[in-house]
Amino acid sequence: MRVYLEIGKRAFQRELVYRTKNLAGLFTNACFGYLRAVPLLAAFEARGDIAGYNLQDALTWNWTVQALIMVVGLWGGWEVADTIRSGDVVSDLSKPFSFLGFWLARDYGRAIYYLLFRALPVVLIGQLLFGLRWPHHAITWAALAVSLALAVSIGFAFRFMLNLAAFWTTDARGVGGLGLIASTFLSGFLIPLAFFPDWLRPVVQALPFAGIVQTPADVFLERVTGWALMGALGQQALWAALLLGAAQGLVVIATRRVVVQGG
Amino acid sequence: MPLREYWRLYWRLVGASARGQMQYKASFLLATAGVFAANLFDFGALLVLYHRIPHLAGWSLGEVALLWGMSAVSFALADTIASGFDLVPAMIRQGDFDRLLTRPLGAFFQTIAARLTLRRLGRIGQGLVILAVAQGEVAIPWTPGKLAVLMVALAAGAAIFFSVYILGAAYAFWTVEGTEVVNTFTYGGTTMTSYPLDIFHGWLRRFVTFIFPLAFVNYYPALYLLERPDPLGLPAWAGWLSPLVATLCCVVAAWGWSFGVRHYQSTGS
Repeated sequence: MRVYLEIGKRAFQRELVYRTKNLAGLFTNACFGYLRAVPLLAAFEARGDIAGYNLQDALTWNWTVQALIMVVGLWGGWEVADTIRSGDVVSDLSKPFSFLGFWLARDYGRAIYYLLFRALPVVLIGQLLFGLRWPHHAITWAALAVSLALAVSIGFAFRFMLNLAAFWTTDARGVGGLGLIASTFLSGFLIPLAFFPDWLRPVVQALPFAGIVQTPADVFLERVTGWALMGALGQQALWAALLLGAAQGLVVIATRRVVVQGG
Repeated sequence: MPLREYWRLYWRLVGASARGQMQYKASFLLATAGVFAANLFDFGALLVLYHRIPHLAGWSLGEVALLWGMSAVSFALADTIASGFDLVPAMIRQGDFDRLLTRPLGAFFQTIAARLTLRRLGRIGQGLVILAVAQGEVAIPWTPGKLAVLMVALAAGAAIFFSVYILGAAYAFWTVEGTEVVNTFTYGGTTMTSYPLDIFHGWLRRFVTFIFPLAFVNYYPALYLLERPDPLGLPAWAGWLSPLVATLCCVVAAWGWSFGVRHYQSTGS
């Protein structure tokens, strides 16, 4: 366990180096947070209540999902695929710890960095510009921490499997890009899943992608409380376990294919 | 060198770039499908929203879709033609831009001819489909004048976005670093132009009308097509101003680029 903590810490520290990059990203998030908030203002002028959201809920959703992009790695990262392509994967596979665990630990280190230095400032900017809805109950913060931790796992497992495609194709980014585009839409990042038509909503809410963005946002908004909250976290935990299991299975299958070229 | 020669050389160079991208046919098709799908999902989100509301600031779904399609086509054209300029920050960082300056052709020409990313055309297809459906939906009474405004606006919109790319690349002559801030103007620009500008606050609307003239990409031409009055009070013929505005943008971009090239100092590594 200590080795994974150390790996996570290193990943966290690596991100600390790129301060200006984070500032530029923060600027971009702030701009898009604003640009995407404006259509919501107009939409709620036409109707005061949309699928149980009032304007403030919708604005809070908007800034929360904007804040989460980097935390849950919504738009991917192809480091694993790159090591597979370059062959460096061989040295990672031969290290005395789990290949999946290694990358998962790194992802948690990265996620914690972005939670502190990206998500928090983005939400504060949203608060300054529009005034957001903050949790009314202290317990929500604890639930949010659990939900975010699970969201990172689900996001990671999905992305990791897309990366593993590099074992079979030279173009993991092409396959993965399509997967990320679909997951962005289905995660509740583009539009709250509650806004979906009634026939489609149960489907999108049951899929694992809901657990990457929509569930943490719902927890923060206190749209799920009590047993419903337990159910939402349970669904996230189930998907996290299933996807991590599937990812581990894929690692086992893929490593059988690895042929080390001498040299 | 006569212009015809430049033209021939341009196609020869980007042809080579295109052939390179076609080497992996499956991945090329996949990437094009990805670009197509990405924007379709964005539009899907708009459909989901409209399923819940009757209109957005008095604009129906069909009317917003018209804006959406025009913006997508113009942006995709610019994004494709300007792909070479994506390489500029990396070229500056690695000192490769020096090499460009030693060759007997302009730096601008060499950059624009360096790459033509064909997969980005996937967005044009998507934009055209939405545009075609939207114009049927809002039942525009087409006249030759309106058709001309649409065609000219698509080209002028592309030129406006193109000049943003040029200025973004020129900006790298000073910052050396990447272009995330530039993305705010390009992708942010498409996001804004995908909605009626009526929804934006006064200062931002004036900014994108008079200073950073995104409003002429599609908003004013669309007002003309839809025969809607302008909330800012510009007359209906503002829809005809796109080519003029686009020309101004290109002049500013050309000036910014040559200013950047003149002030270029090699990174020396």
